[in-house]
Amino acid sequence: MFPWQKQKTEAIEKRKARKISKNLKDNVKYIEEQYSYGLNYDFESRTIQGPSGRYHLFFYSTTVDTKQLSDHIVAPLLEMKKDIPVDRIVSVPNISPITNMGDVEKGLNDGSVIIFKQGIAEGFEVNLQDFKHRAVEKAENEKTVKGPKESFTESLPTNISMLRKKIPSKDLIAENISVGTRPAVPVTLIYERDLANEKVLENIKNRISSITVDNIRNIEILEQFIEERPRSLFPTLLYTERPDNVSNFVSEGYIAIMMDNSSSCLIAPITIWSFFHSPEDRYLRWAFANFSRLIRALAYFITLFVSATYVAVTNYHSQLIPIDLLLAIASSRERVPLPIIFEVLLMEIAFELIREAGVRIPSPLGPTIGIVGALILGQAAVEANIVSPIVVIIVALSGLSSFAAANYSINHTLRISRFIFIVAASFYGLLSLLGAILLWAAYVVSISSFGVSYFSPATPSTKSSHDTFFRMILKKERWRPGFINPKDWDKK
Amino acid sequence: MQLTKKPLRIREMVVIVFMVIGLKGGDTTPALFADHAQNAIWLVPVVSFLCLLPPFLILMYLLKKHEKYNLVELIFHLLGKKLGTVLSLLLFIGGFVSMSVDMRNVMEELNYLYFPESPTIMIYAIFLGICIIIANKGLETIGSLTWALIPIIILTILAVMTVDLRDAVWQRIFPILGDGPKTILVDGISKSSAFLEIFLLTIAYQAFHQTKDFRIGIYTGGILSCILIVTFYAIYAMVFDYNTINNIAFLYQESTEIVSLGHFFTNISTFFMIGWLFSTFLRFIIFLYILCWIFGAIFEIKRFEGLILPVGIVSMILSLIPPSFSINELVIRETSLQIITPLFLIFPFLLWGTDRWKNRGKT
Amino acid sequence: MRRLILILLFLQIALILTGCFDRKELEEQAYVISIGVDKTERDNIFRFTFEIANPEVGSSVSNVSTKEPAQEVVSVLGTDFLSATSTANTSVAKEITLDQVRVVIFSEKLARSKEFIHVIQSAPSTVDLKLNAQMVISKEKAEDFIRHNKPRLESRPHKYFQYMLDRARETGVIPDAPLVRFFQITEGDADLFIAPFASTAREPTDKYGAEDNYKAGEIDINGGNPTQFIGSAVFKEGQMIDTLTGEETRYTLMLDTTLPQQDILATYKDPLRPDFEISAKVQIDKAKVSIDYKKRGRSVIDVHVNAHLNVFAIPSTEDYMLDPRKRRILYASIEKQMYNKTTEMVKKSQEKYKAEPFYWSLHIRKEFLTIKDYEKADWSNKIFPNADVHLHIDVKSIEFGKTLRQSNIGKVRD
Repeated sequence: MFPWQKQKTEAIEKRKARKISKNLKDNVKYIEEQYSYGLNYDFESRTIQGPSGRYHLFFYSTTVDTKQLSDHIVAPLLEMKKDIPVDRIVSVPNISPITNMGDVEKGLNDGSVIIFKQGIAEGFEVNLQDFKHRAVEKAENEKTVKGPKESFTESLPTNISMLRKKIPSKDLIAENISVGTRPAVPVTLIYERDLANEKVLENIKNRISSITVDNIRNIEILEQFIEERPRSLFPTLLYTERPDNVSNFVSEGYIAIMMDNSSSCLIAPITIWSFFHSPEDRYLRWAFANFSRLIRALAYFITLFVSATYVAVTNYHSQLIPIDLLLAIASSRERVPLPIIFEVLLMEIAFELIREAGVRIPSPLGPTIGIVGALILGQAAVEANIVSPIVVIIVALSGLSSFAAANYSINHTLRISRFIFIVAASFYGLLSLLGAILLWAAYVVSISSFGVSYFSPATPSTKSSHDTFFRMILKKERWRPGFINPKDWDKK
Repeated sequence: MQLTKKPLRIREMVVIVFMVIGLKGGDTTPALFADHAQNAIWLVPVVSFLCLLPPFLILMYLLKKHEKYNLVELIFHLLGKKLGTVLSLLLFIGGFVSMSVDMRNVMEELNYLYFPESPTIMIYAIFLGICIIIANKGLETIGSLTWALIPIIILTILAVMTVDLRDAVWQRIFPILGDGPKTILVDGISKSSAFLEIFLLTIAYQAFHQTKDFRIGIYTGGILSCILIVTFYAIYAMVFDYNTINNIAFLYQESTEIVSLGHFFTNISTFFMIGWLFSTFLRFIIFLYILCWIFGAIFEIKRFEGLILPVGIVSMILSLIPPSFSINELVIRETSLQIITPLFLIFPFLLWGTDRWKNRGKT
Repeated sequence: MRRLILILLFLQIALILTGCFDRKELEEQAYVISIGVDKTERDNIFRFTFEIANPEVGSSVSNVSTKEPAQEVVSVLGTDFLSATSTANTSVAKEITLDQVRVVIFSEKLARSKEFIHVIQSAPSTVDLKLNAQMVISKEKAEDFIRHNKPRLESRPHKYFQYMLDRARETGVIPDAPLVRFFQITEGDADLFIAPFASTAREPTDKYGAEDNYKAGEIDINGGNPTQFIGSAVFKEGQMIDTLTGEETRYTLMLDTTLPQQDILATYKDPLRPDFEISAKVQIDKAKVSIDYKKRGRSVIDVHVNAHLNVFAIPSTEDYMLDPRKRRILYASIEKQMYNKTTEMVKKSQEKYKAEPFYWSLHIRKEFLTIKDYEKADWSNKIFPNADVHLHIDVKSIEFGKTLRQSNIGKVRD
């Protein structure tokens, strides 16, 4: 550790370990100084002179429930005549004694009210927090037609309560680990005690506790800190906003990672198949679900390979194209000034622009994108002989298909991989394209997420419900996913 | 952290064997056999397999008996350090020559049929580069990758079979013995080392979840490969007649080239190249990896992945020496196979003999 | 920054490297759809005619109406396909590719000469030229054939050949003859090969009533495209020896077990009123050939052919449908007509050609264990010409289409 870091840590430790003094004035002075009372407009420091003694309250007026504060704390303190301990006066469920300033600090930051009493070297933390957050709303990014509609919101207690509702079991553990220093924030691991694999759990905990950074405010940042391969194209944690999805995973033996201020959660360990699955696949009947998976699989392949194949085949293997199609393509390309590879890249990049702009554009301007995009890039480009119509079709097809991805993280993977394949295809036709696909596939099968091979259970295979491209009839699913090695494999 | 140690199981072994042996149905090996046997081409591999079976079974018996060893360790254990090194090195050289020659053939095939204007070395470099990068990732990746791609390859195989059978005339299989029983036997036995990889694969005996997985895998894969090769060769004989078959170098591609599916898909051969190229890539990745493993095992190099690059490049340079494809296939491959064959047919018996002798000494 | 430069450098290298070797843009290639080969005065120099499709004609890009012709025909001298291609490129700006060639046309004169085998030998070693292209023999010079062939209804020339060959094959008047079959049969050296025969020169012989007993060019058609595909050219040992009429071709195909049998349209004499004809769709099952090989003496060849007829016109209005006696006569008559024609064809091949175009050598192969024995036995010279061929033609069923009975013309006339 560097000397300056050592100094800093020592100062923090000292501050935290400071005991609460018997003298109320000392305490008040110390805390008012620490919390810049007067400058911080919402920091309240109030003295209450009740019949039974002199009390002092600290709280942030913006984070506590003021009605409860006045009804259940201030009023009883003012009324109580007998000199009994504070925790017997105050009529709130959540009250705990604290002895040092570290706890005071922590309590205040969490939105509690701190009560000191003259003459007692002890304070009380009363949890009356009332942080504002969104109500539970419909899932926006992972829509389903059939199945529950609610999604997580930015409040951890609300989120956990939704999970507890779904898995009412004493084995559902919500364990906290703190991360960061300025301030330390809790990360909550949710798992089933009798299912989740100890090694994986240990691994996740280790990774979280070994993060050395001042603060991590939400799960999206945390994700990048605990990933094995931050530069990789493939996400190794599943990011989902649906409580039903999470509870499905948790009851299979996976571990969910949650944080306050995030309306989503992370699932680990994960395989590539989970990015391909949508929770709706389990809600729909067998045939419908598998049909929708088939379409989605097709969409993935189209997104990845259609432009690249077009480039490879037209540039290097034109004998493969049926003559009618060949003549049609050749005639439409007769007046196009660009080589095919540039034509395709141009349109692909244009499509990416529309998409990027569509995400960032303020919603009142939204319709512009449609008009400009469709008109300029489709019709006009063809009429101006910049691109051939068939390329517009191919790019539109590949772009459209990329939206069928069931998960937002994998969407980026597909989009970037597509460009790799297009460039590879232009380099040496099918030889280099297939080579690139092979390298890509080799990379996919070689990576692992928290010790679990990314491609299991297809390969390496284990006992599992074999929920890969297609799923079985639910009644016939006997095993929990064996690749995450749960404590109990048998579902029945 | 790896949650499961040695995750590869039966299915990966089956596809590895299938890829290395079975897909000799689609390279230039049939042309080598057809050169003498003509339309009895499909009987030659049958003879080869029958001829390879006893030594192979003995090797598998020895490996099962000495549960803890792989191929090279077994040889060292039975023959001692010096003799073991010599024998293993000979096996390695056999495999190495066979890989180099095969690789050149495949490159010529690719070059001539699909990229006629490119220099061979360019295609060779791309091909080998990809093989080396993937081989470096280790056996688990290779096994999983093979399994992940097997659907495409199986689809291709089935499509080729159905397409070829449209044009096949089954009577062309007659006269059933082709050039005569002598040619078949001589060819089958002398060129049986065209399938020598099955011996070399036993280096991976310890690498699977259980050694039982390896055994079941190699038998199943071997049988599937046999079936595939014999079917494919028979189809070639039925598609081309006995006089045409020995003129054609790339039977797999030519057989798909002469078929058209209706008016729309007239030239479908390039379509079948996809599965073929995947399997070719995988085959040489596995072969390269296995060879380096053997080499590493002989000289006790733990991190033998570092050898893949030099071994690959040396093999490429050596294989570019023969002036042309036909010389490479019909002269060099044929002679090298005839030289290598006895070695592979005899060494399991040698091991078995020493094993018996050692045991007798003990009791 | 350094990384950015590296990435840009990589992109630059990728851009420079692409576009070399085998990369070709589609519009820079000229797609040949048919090749004609003619004999010239000099030995082993041939005239190659390439018919190149113009992609702009018939495509849906409608904003510029093109006045270019649908095809360009270039004809050059050369010794083989590849050298001729490069010579032709001296006048065609786009790179000529033979990938899409569907038809290769040889003139009758060339096919009958000894040089034919030399020029066609260069086909398999030409990578571009696919061996599933159809072989066609033209009565006149192949160059004239290509130049005269002016399809009216198909805007793209390749379509014309596709449809034309299909229709003709459907009626059974021309055989299916991809180049590869030529090599298989010629190299097998036991059978005769037959290829479609076509012509653009009209020399009508007005001998109607001879059914399809025409060869190309003899049919009396007015208007339309002058091209006619009918009949076939017979090749023995890689050299053309004769032509067959459409009808003979049909019976030849009937006896061949290797070609897919299609329903063919044919007419037969009405047995009760011989001046009328009956037209029917004939479906012929794959012939069954069994050969009783005798080392010494005459081998016996048994051929079983089963036919299913679907009659759709009985102009004579004879009541074959309901009258069992008449129906029996019809069965017998059709069997007899088919038998006679087929026997004629077999006799012709045994006596005139001394070899058969039915690919029957396949069926004798079973008798031999090795190729040496088989070649020694010599099917084409020893076994077949001396064999007894027994034909068994069996009309299995006759359907009468959608009418239940013929309307009685006699009554109508009243």
